[in-house]
Amino acid sequence: MLESLQYIYAPQIVNGLSIGVAVILMALGLTIIFGLLDVINMSHGEFYAAGAFISVSLMAMGVSFWLCLFLVPLFLIPIGFAMERLLIQKVFHYKDRHILTLLLTFGVAMVLEDGYKIIWGANPIKPDSPISGASELFGVMFPNYRLFLMAFGALLIFAVWVLIYKTQIGAIVRAAAYDKEMSSSLGIPVMRVYALTFAFGVALAGLAGVLLAPIYSVFPTMGRDFILMAFTVVIVGGLGSIKGAVIAGILLTQLQSISSLYISPVWSDPLVFTVMVLVLVFKPSGLYGGMKNA
Amino acid sequence: MRNPQFKAIRFIELLLLISAFILFLIGTALGDTFFLRLATESLIFGGLAMSVDLLLGIVGLLSLGQALYFGFGAYLSALILKEISPSFGLTIVIVAVASTALGWVASFIALRSKGVYFALITFGLAQVAAKVVYNTRSLGASDGMMGVPIVQIWTPFGELNAGQPGIFFVVTLVTIGGLYLLLKYFLSTPMGSMWHAIRSNENRLAYVGYQSKGPKQFAFILAAMVAAVSGALYPMLRGFVSPELMFFSVSGNAVVTVVLGGVGTLIGPLLGSVLLTSFKSIIGTWTTHHHIVIGLIFIVIVISAPKGLAGLLAKYYGKQDSRKGGE
Repeated sequence: MLESLQYIYAPQIVNGLSIGVAVILMALGLTIIFGLLDVINMSHGEFYAAGAFISVSLMAMGVSFWLCLFLVPLFLIPIGFAMERLLIQKVFHYKDRHILTLLLTFGVAMVLEDGYKIIWGANPIKPDSPISGASELFGVMFPNYRLFLMAFGALLIFAVWVLIYKTQIGAIVRAAAYDKEMSSSLGIPVMRVYALTFAFGVALAGLAGVLLAPIYSVFPTMGRDFILMAFTVVIVGGLGSIKGAVIAGILLTQLQSISSLYISPVWSDPLVFTVMVLVLVFKPSGLYGGMKNA
Repeated sequence: MRNPQFKAIRFIELLLLISAFILFLIGTALGDTFFLRLATESLIFGGLAMSVDLLLGIVGLLSLGQALYFGFGAYLSALILKEISPSFGLTIVIVAVASTALGWVASFIALRSKGVYFALITFGLAQVAAKVVYNTRSLGASDGMMGVPIVQIWTPFGELNAGQPGIFFVVTLVTIGGLYLLLKYFLSTPMGSMWHAIRSNENRLAYVGYQSKGPKQFAFILAAMVAAVSGALYPMLRGFVSPELMFFSVSGNAVVTVVLGGVGTLIGPLLGSVLLTSFKSIIGTWTTHHHIVIGLIFIVIVISAPKGLAGLLAKYYGKQDSRKGGE
């Protein structure tokens, strides 16, 4: 019993956690963007891919992986900022802006994905793992990089939480989400907050891309498979809720990795999706409400 | 009652019908295969786009997974044609009935949610179905199914052979045209008014004593049926089906087609599909990266002309009318 826990479940749980951390980073970006702007960013997966691709190119130029962790989000922030200002703001004032912004970001995703094919080619690239080797934990060997990923990801998630809930910047963002007009009349530059928040979410996706590039291969459609899981997490957790994204992210990725011990991995996606449907049936707004209620 | 929108729709209907007629005449006279088959394909994907438009433009529900029903129709059609009988009528009837049932079941899942949640659930449903099909051996897994026989079409005037591109083009035109007329008919019924009302303001519908649930569900099932019947034509044209038919790119393409052609017009998506398919085939001879061009066009349209080509046409007629009124 103890042995099966040690040799069968523990590796699966750790694998699940390392994926979970990355999914949560993606989901955080999505949920923050939705919580504040009411925008479903369909191109989020493509920004995740952007992070991975840029890091691959930077590393090919000799930049170290650790520097990439800083540089890539720094690259993506102005891109996200410009995208919000130049594209999303253009349709933001229509009545059906939910659908229009979704379509718009979908168009951006199309362009980006094809752009990656032109620049980097369609074949998968596999970057070297920046941390090699493995360590023993509870008598089982785990790849060092996965352990690092979990620790770093957890730290990052905590930092985002602190930023949103414990700092003045976070208070401004939440105020803008809660009541746009009121915040604006109190002197908050709401439009700039919108654009910066969008850029922040995009940068988080890019960071997830850098972190996962050494584990999975890097290819133009890499964002598409990943985004479904991130969306599922966001929906189950409640659109706009940070706490919900973290809890749902851990639960669902654990469900996925543990269930794959018993059923073919092909069926673990439908299983996760069934959970999402069940949550929606009983609690249509997800486990936790929006950013406003926190 | 001849408002600009009505005029724009009538114009596009005539334009498509006349071009189809000319294409058929010239194509058959010259013994062409390529253009007739290309036009047939654009009609098939036009049918899918029409079903997206029924949900998006009429009822106000954005479906990002309509390829699920399209692919379902295509696979079921391929199975029937291969295993049971290469009969056109039988296949279409079975696909229509089965997809109605599938749409009914899916409607309970998808319609639990509204707005963006609806979009994401339909996206997820299709994604999961595509993954399952992609990994199911008995459905050919990633290879799909090949060797679908040429269909026999029974008509009162004798059997038609769909192996001839001209004949199958006309059959597709009649089928998709029939679906279009069916949807137009429903739009003229009280049900159609309810759909418009739901799109304008769903909450207010309850205040005037109507429930939005029934009409929404009906539209959803109808859209599933239209998409599936369009999909059923695909293996008849191409002779194979592959799991790519269920992928997000197909659903996404349908949405692009709808927005390009004109949301809420039903005929706009058909025009959009004809234009996009021809565009892809023209640009495809130069480069495989047509998505980047289409994506850019799409972004420009969403920002500057959210009503698409049909909307631009309606605007033109509107200006003309007001000029006449001024004289």
